[in-house]
Amino acid sequence: MHENFARDLARILTDYSSPVKPGERVTIVGNLETAAPLVEALVEAVLARGGFPNVQGAAMLSPDYTPYFELFLRNANDQQLDHLDSTMMHWVNESDALFFIKAPANTKALSSVDPARLARYRRTIQPFGETYLNRYAEGKLRWTVCAWPTQALAQTAEMSLLDYRDFVYAACGLDQPDPVAYWLGFREMQDRLVEWLKGKSHVEVRGPGIDLSFEFADRPWINCAGQVNFPDGEIYTSPVEDSVNGTVQFNYPSVYQGYEVEGVCLRFENGRAVEATAEKNEAFLLSQLDLDEGGRTLGEFAIGTNKGVTRYTRSILFDEKIGGTIHMALGRSYAESHGKNESAIHWDMVHGMQDGGEIWVDGELFYRSGEFMVK
Amino acid sequence: MIENFASRLARVLTEYSVPIQRGDLVVINASIEALPLIEALYEAVLERGGLPVTMPTIPTLRDIFVRKATDEQLDFLNPLAMTMMEKADVLFSIIAPSNTMSGAQVPPERSARLQKAQRPVIETYFKRTFEGTLRWNICAWPTQAAAQQAEMGLLAYSEFIYQACALDQPDPVAHWRAVAERQDRLIAWLAGKQRVEVRGPSVDLSFRLDDSRSWVNCRGDKNFPDGEIFTCPLEDSVNGTIEFSYPTIYGGREVRGVCLRFENGRVVEASAEHGEDFLLSRLDMDEGARTLGEFAIGTNKGIQRFTGETLFDEKIGGTIHMALGQSIEDAGGVNKSQIHWDIVHSMRDGGEIWVDGELFYRNGDFVVEA
Repeated sequence: MHENFARDLARILTDYSSPVKPGERVTIVGNLETAAPLVEALVEAVLARGGFPNVQGAAMLSPDYTPYFELFLRNANDQQLDHLDSTMMHWVNESDALFFIKAPANTKALSSVDPARLARYRRTIQPFGETYLNRYAEGKLRWTVCAWPTQALAQTAEMSLLDYRDFVYAACGLDQPDPVAYWLGFREMQDRLVEWLKGKSHVEVRGPGIDLSFEFADRPWINCAGQVNFPDGEIYTSPVEDSVNGTVQFNYPSVYQGYEVEGVCLRFENGRAVEATAEKNEAFLLSQLDLDEGGRTLGEFAIGTNKGVTRYTRSILFDEKIGGTIHMALGRSYAESHGKNESAIHWDMVHGMQDGGEIWVDGELFYRSGEFMVK
Repeated sequence: MIENFASRLARVLTEYSVPIQRGDLVVINASIEALPLIEALYEAVLERGGLPVTMPTIPTLRDIFVRKATDEQLDFLNPLAMTMMEKADVLFSIIAPSNTMSGAQVPPERSARLQKAQRPVIETYFKRTFEGTLRWNICAWPTQAAAQQAEMGLLAYSEFIYQACALDQPDPVAHWRAVAERQDRLIAWLAGKQRVEVRGPSVDLSFRLDDSRSWVNCRGDKNFPDGEIFTCPLEDSVNGTIEFSYPTIYGGREVRGVCLRFENGRVVEASAEHGEDFLLSRLDMDEGARTLGEFAIGTNKGIQRFTGETLFDEKIGGTIHMALGQSIEDAGGVNKSQIHWDIVHSMRDGGEIWVDGELFYRNGDFVVEA
């Protein structure tokens, strides 16, 4: 039953993901109803490490973090929708580390909310997002998104809460004898892969449902090993924007903005998705791709490496890390990997490579059937 | 925020749906997710002189049981549950899921074994309700899980149920009495008539009734909310086709775009856009599964959207629904099957029901009422 789940997770978050030092101001963002065990364990762990914990139990950022998001969006007038909470700006400016605990009580809470009102409020809180991303880029702030199992997430994954807890526990490597040592080893393994890729340029992805090539030139591959996301497990880069050619027929469904799209098929020509179809919700797919100029360009190519994430659960924090998959994001690219594409969307789509998928880099076989072929 | 939701609902349930009398032993069967309604029902039953009894369930305990129990433990029948079913005068069951998918990973043979062990309780329930010694009602309390399934926030879903139950009316009990009277008039008009034709976009179907069949007034006594009239077509009389406009969820599985063709009472062709294999497996489960067990008209105009919860979906005002499989004795049906699968179809876009050559219903309204 994982009695020490919250304590073990808090330990790895404060010890490995975002090591808390004496005197640091640490803000914990988590719904006090649904994430209570992990909030409590994080407060304890931050105290034990000499930090100053600050709990934000109802941060009005998304329904993942507060029980009042739907209430607010249904009832707020325009003036209230336009109001940026100054206390929120205070703690995002004054923290050394942030922990965001995803623990939704209802993964469809926004479906019945007026999209225009949601968009208006998202614009209002944009300075919050910009502030933490800027402070992160300047090295002044660490941030980590993690998850705590809830009935809503379990239901979305079509699992019971008990099965889902087991799933998250294993995904976090907490079933390992020494989880911190496990993640340190994991990070080193990915460091070696990223090192091997350095200086290379040409990628070909082949296998069932996929035949795609791109250049990453001098752009780096980024090692995602549990600092910004937890659990984690991927390496990614930003393909040179006009270099992507070929087709992919994604064999996993994809959930974006609450819409589930199945059977997505993309054909790229010189970097743009010139053909896009889907078996389910094709109209939504096309509406997003045509939202802006950058919506049809690949912003990210990544390889999921977490073998503890064993199944698809309709939650991208986990799905994109599934060991044996790749994922690609249409839209906005990341500055860390020197991507230049701009877009309002960043839509990750996952493709299983377990059955014969191959990745060739500069003519060498780098990856086959979910395993790395290089040392 | 809705004020007094639970107490208003409890009042209609104990005064109108199942009027509680002094000395009634009233069992409230619910999960702790429904705590506000359990409390309100408990209080309302006490006020009317009844004897409320409840053993609220804790949702995760069932998950633990299904996962950990040995075969011997799976076969265990809780004697307290049996005693309650034998002694109760009234049984209120509250639908209040904490996870609508919690059973999705349970091996079918384990859930079948668990169900089998509970069969004596179910049989006692059927026997006593048939005899009329046990009055019963199934209602719902809004939960996050049900809201999520309906793709709604909890507040929006709570308002949806509130309206579906007509608790937004000044006097809900008076509203439901009027529903019962209205449906009585429709049934009086239908009495003795024999030939039903359903026409419209995606439906062209006919069936017959005779004096062994009746129309039943679902007025909020056994389901709450409610709002339908139903009958059981003569088993070999159904002919024609229908392409259902709504998805259907059965046994935790969603099936969309169901198309059926009937010949002399049996489904001879069946297809679905999504979930066809599951549909066909159910239809071939036993001899009676391809026969129509129920034809019904949903009348609750307080329900205007599909939620994935049959308690609500089959009552949507302006829809019809049909159940494949087991028919219902109250209406005189004789079809036997392990399944009773309700599938809903919208009639609001030009759907018509003709009865003995007279137009009875069009676009979701009963034209004979005018």
